Amino acid sequence: MTCEEARRNLPLFVYGELSFDEEELVEVHIDECAACRRELAREKAMFAALDAVELVPRPEALAQSRAELRRRLALSGGKSGAKSGAKLEVSGARGSGFWEKIREGFTIHFHFAPGIAQVAGAALMLALGFLTARFAPHPLGGYFSSAGVMAEPATSRVRYVEPVSPGRVQIVLDETRQRVLSGSVDDEAIQRLLLTAAKDPSDAGLRVESVDLLKNNSQSAEIRQALVYALEHDPNAGVRLKALEGLKQFGADPDTRQALTQVLLKDENPGIRTQVIDVLVQQRHSDAVVGVLQELMEKEDNSGIRLRCEKILQGMNASAEMY
Amino acid sequence: MVPQTAVRMDEPELIRAAQQGDQRAFEQLVRLYDQSVLRLATNLLRSPEDANDIYQEAFLRVYKNLHTFRFDCSFHTWLYRIVSNLCLDALRKRKVRREESSLVETNEGYLNRMDTVEEPRADSDPERSLESKQVREKIQEVLGGLTPRERAVFEMRHYQGMRLRTIGEVMGTSEEAAKNCLFRATQKMRAALGDFV
Repeated sequence: MTCEEARRNLPLFVYGELSFDEEELVEVHIDECAACRRELAREKAMFAALDAVELVPRPEALAQSRAELRRRLALSGGKSGAKSGAKLEVSGARGSGFWEKIREGFTIHFHFAPGIAQVAGAALMLALGFLTARFAPHPLGGYFSSAGVMAEPATSRVRYVEPVSPGRVQIVLDETRQRVLSGSVDDEAIQRLLLTAAKDPSDAGLRVESVDLLKNNSQSAEIRQALVYALEHDPNAGVRLKALEGLKQFGADPDTRQALTQVLLKDENPGIRTQVIDVLVQQRHSDAVVGVLQELMEKEDNSGIRLRCEKILQGMNASAEMY
Repeated sequence: MVPQTAVRMDEPELIRAAQQGDQRAFEQLVRLYDQSVLRLATNLLRSPEDANDIYQEAFLRVYKNLHTFRFDCSFHTWLYRIVSNLCLDALRKRKVRREESSLVETNEGYLNRMDTVEEPRADSDPERSLESKQVREKIQEVLGGLTPRERAVFEMRHYQGMRLRTIGEVMGTSEEAAKNCLFRATQKMRAALGDFV
């Protein structure tokens, strides 16, 4: 293979898009040609520069797009191409949207004769009245205020249905109500809610905001544990970044270091890996850092991070490889 | 009434359930892919509003046409075909370069990888910081100068990590044609960034 052919193939070589034979030829040529090795290094540097301009939508943007999609699907009147022709109708005073229709399977549909419907409706109203009367003050202590309790449930689900006598039915509903709470982020009860929200699998935007609020109280062992969990397990990179911010000051804590090491070796996001390296390097545990960076070098494919590790290891007079 | 799925299904099951009108399955299907769809549209169009428009239109089309999906290709390929066609249309309709230059100034709404991968000490080194900014601007300029097809192939290969064969399927062309597109895009990058790397 000539230098011209090798250089022509370098971009596809770096992308791993050459055939086995072509790749072999390029590798052999690069081993023997210093000028083409330099070209390969430049190609990789260009790739690293390109990595750096990728835009990653914030979780809030994703949450907004999802919310708009719900609205638009609702407005489309449910003209889906579903074979069954299941139609999304606009219904109810609240929550007429597509997403609300997801819970259609849980809502009540009466198909009784008019007379029976009246009786059943009365029974249902009694049940609702009973539940509303039983609606106890929230069990959360702490110094925060509660406002805007909705008179009607935000969602409801029929838990249990039983005919009690001819024409009468008893229905047990599970209801979810919305309420607005406000209070100090230092309040234990507020923190408990934030800890729950930080694990809500359905809303990355909510998790980002919750973790962002919690991270300023990472002195609490429970919160630090939640941040470690989010950093290790949250599928959203924005949430993991926020959790990492809260853990930065605990780089010296053995448990946190252990978690950071795992994240460095496993996280797929190069931005997070880079920040974890910074946190680990700040601490004076050079032997452990050298070991983990060497391990990282064995598998890291991001050229920017590789360069960074090499520099750090050089600065520590350590080899870039494990022996 | 169509039964609403309550348990986690694998993708073909989700698709079949959504085709039968199971709304929860459709939601799960959207959530499997919507993050990467928004990311692709964001990087291709470099505008939060336009990326959101693509997101909306793409999933509305999926919703309306899901019954026509016959498992002839993967759902990912089918979805990305819709998304890439929408993005290509949008790129062809507008002058990308002018809009990108404004985004470089205001990155509002986005995490720029430069902020997280860049050397942290770059700020304390004005010369290096300036150089990084120049490289970034140069890359934006080159991206703006690529043809819509080159741009789409490059984005899908470089940032989404898709194989050229899949990109060919998505773009309705051969792997070889996708490879040529990628080659031209990287050549243009090299030519423009020669002094910086």
